[in-house]
Amino acid sequence: MDGLNRLLFSGPLLLFVGAFLLLPSLQIGASALSDGHGGLTLRYIEALGQPQYRTAFQNSVLLSGTTALLGGLLGTLLAFLASGRRGWLAEAVTAFSGVAANFAGVPLAFAFIATLGTTGLLTQFLKQALGLDLYGSGFSLFSYWGLVVVYLYFQIPLMFLVMTPAVAGLRREWREAAEGLGATPFQYWTRVVLPLILPPALAGTILLFGNAFSAYATPYALTSGALPLIPLQIGSALQGNVAADPQQGAALALGMVALMLVSLGLYFALERRNSRWRQR
Amino acid sequence: MIRRLLLALFGLYFLLPLLATAVYSLWAGGNRYDLSAYARILAEPQFRSTFTLSLILAVETVALSLLLLIPAVFWANLRWPGLRTALEVVSVLPFVVPPIALVGGLTALYKGPAWWIGTPQFLIVGYTVLALPYTYRALDVGMRSIDLKTLSEAALSLGSGWLGLLLRVVVPGILPSMLSAALLTLAIVMGEFTFANVLLFNTFAVFINYVGQTQGTGAAALSLLSFGLTWLAMIAILRGSRQGQLSLGGGR
Amino acid sequence: MKRYQALTRREMLKLGGVAAGALTLGSLIPGRAQAKTLNTIALPPDWANYGEIMATFTRKYGITINNASPNASSAEELQALRSLKGQSRAPDVVDVGPSFAIQGKQEGLFAPYKVRTWDSIPANMKDPEGYWYGDYFGVISFGVNTSVVKKVPKTWADLKDPMYKGQVALNGSPLTAGAAFAGVWSAALANGGSLDDITPGIEFFAQLKKMGNYIPVDATPATVQTGQTPIVVDWDYLNLGYSKEFEGKLEWKVVVPSDGVYGSYYCQAISASAPNPASARQWMEFLYSDEGQLLFLKGYAHPVRFNDLVRRKVIPAELLAKLPPSEPYAKVRFATQNQLKKAQETLKAQWAAKVG
Repeated sequence: MDGLNRLLFSGPLLLFVGAFLLLPSLQIGASALSDGHGGLTLRYIEALGQPQYRTAFQNSVLLSGTTALLGGLLGTLLAFLASGRRGWLAEAVTAFSGVAANFAGVPLAFAFIATLGTTGLLTQFLKQALGLDLYGSGFSLFSYWGLVVVYLYFQIPLMFLVMTPAVAGLRREWREAAEGLGATPFQYWTRVVLPLILPPALAGTILLFGNAFSAYATPYALTSGALPLIPLQIGSALQGNVAADPQQGAALALGMVALMLVSLGLYFALERRNSRWRQR
Repeated sequence: MIRRLLLALFGLYFLLPLLATAVYSLWAGGNRYDLSAYARILAEPQFRSTFTLSLILAVETVALSLLLLIPAVFWANLRWPGLRTALEVVSVLPFVVPPIALVGGLTALYKGPAWWIGTPQFLIVGYTVLALPYTYRALDVGMRSIDLKTLSEAALSLGSGWLGLLLRVVVPGILPSMLSAALLTLAIVMGEFTFANVLLFNTFAVFINYVGQTQGTGAAALSLLSFGLTWLAMIAILRGSRQGQLSLGGGR
Repeated sequence: MKRYQALTRREMLKLGGVAAGALTLGSLIPGRAQAKTLNTIALPPDWANYGEIMATFTRKYGITINNASPNASSAEELQALRSLKGQSRAPDVVDVGPSFAIQGKQEGLFAPYKVRTWDSIPANMKDPEGYWYGDYFGVISFGVNTSVVKKVPKTWADLKDPMYKGQVALNGSPLTAGAAFAGVWSAALANGGSLDDITPGIEFFAQLKKMGNYIPVDATPATVQTGQTPIVVDWDYLNLGYSKEFEGKLEWKVVVPSDGVYGSYYCQAISASAPNPASARQWMEFLYSDEGQLLFLKGYAHPVRFNDLVRRKVIPAELLAKLPPSEPYAKVRFATQNQLKKAQETLKAQWAAKVG
């Protein structure tokens, strides 16, 4: 009985994923190991150790990590701030997050260039009204921290969307019950809210990490490869107009898969610790 | 008070870039501002056709994603933890598999039939894969926020079947998550460029990209229009589903 | 405005072409009225005058053109050939960079065909067996927004002037975008480099970046119009083509840097699995006829048979008058495949490390 249900409930998805995600992905692995003439080679995997790829991996991890943490915190904060609102406004905000979470590429880059570029609206306002010269003080939209500011534009709403159902799940009654039992607000937050919020927040942060890790069009439009990131290098190897290098692109993608698996392992470990803590 | 201030700061961060785009989209040279960029974009015959195509694909992708994922995530959370781990891993793959490589793999594997791969509907497969990380995560969070074990024991002891449990108890319970998933999927499909570009289907993203490479103020106007239209489409979905939720709630 | 008109005009001509094609064929073969079509890919109507070229072709031969993905890159064009093989929507012809033309031939994606004017195509711009051949070439130029920039830079050396702080941009990453790659190489030529050595160009951009003159934004018409990227390094035919888009909004001047004349060409090829091979050959004949070649020139792209056209004096004087001065074009030499490979490797290893 259970076996049949298992097949019925999860069979279609497993079939779909196998046929349309796993099989094509295997081809990438094969391509990274192929020398282009039917033989095997480790050349492309070994090339990942070259300085330009090493820096790119470092930058990608750093940028994704920073924006996942910041976005995770701010998005969760926003979910709490906006919770309890109902009706028209809540709908508008939720829908806005849906769009903003996927606002990327040239349009997003342009919106920020028009705001914070060297001749941007805000840049000029700060300069003229407050005498604050952003670019004179070392800020640049086209640098690491500039990218962080831009990435948060889609990271925060994504976290908001993931966290809103979880935050909505915190019932008002629980707070009242906790207070009724004599809990201080601090105890309510650490004993009741945190254990309930932490698992989805962790899961959401992993999602944000992957989301930032795979961003291509946005960093391309802003840095033109001057800040090396893995998706940019994959893009120029697989998709560009200059040099086609499909095997190297595939090898880079394999490197990304490995990195994602490591971060997932980290997530599982954290989650297990956390659920043990919850049972205590 | 602090809450207001913080919300205002968030609002500022999210609205300023749009405002800057808006100011610029209205610019008509010198000190003149008008709506000519918008008129020009709206007059493009491709604007409507590509937008409609993308919207249809988005709705179809949402339907397919939910249909495939809800039962599986439900079962994984209730009875099969191993599947959950597997899904966790699988659901990050679309992040790390470059779309151009994925589309290459898909087309090398599936060469027919023509009524499938020759129509834009072929894209739904790829879009469902691309949306997987978001749909899975949203549904999993939702599934875990309801007390699945207690609910299912209660429902089963009252004589409900598994399917009845899923449709009448679980789905209404995870409706907020389903909406998150739907909204994200919708936005992904409206913005996806690589698949459509390589498979030569003229979607909204392909059109936006083209305008972005050839027009100045028009590109700004179009990105605002697409932001606004996608937003409206989402509000419509939220509206529609809220009414659905009410009727579902009434039946309980 | 021009673009919008070009598009609608093309749409109308497309309809007209269908009607005309149906009419002629229909009258010849009763009961089998089928319009002739040609599937193209990655031909932006405002790039090298493709809009007018396509419209003229349709008008002349009654062949409707389905132009897909106007902004696809060379790599994406080849991927489309592989992905759509056997479908009636598959591209008949492609327009790709030389490295990709060579790759396409190796993979067996192209079918050989020699146009009637084959002999007048320079030998260094064609595959000896006719699998692909260059169609037009351009040189690197500066597009300058003179509403912002008061003194127009004439050479790469000029760009080092502090007054151009935050004003110089490429159209994307030199590792991905052909024109940006060429821009770096052009800077190399101006700074003691050669077709065998792109390194001085990378160092030049590193210096510009350090001074704050180079900003790594992907320049688009929108960034030019906001004044964010007043000096754009791009192909001459693209920069010259932008003039119309910017009309009434800003003053736009195009200069070929005299100290770094670097050129490159695109290649035309017929797909091995073209669904409309007859239309494809017709298209090739048209592009390489005097008429087609002059249409490229009208879009500021120098056609591959340019020297032949000059020698035979078939270029109208008014067309010549609209082109930039011709001296730089006489100086242009093209990199060989080996030189390209070497430059790409060097750039890959050094660009981010030095410029980032």
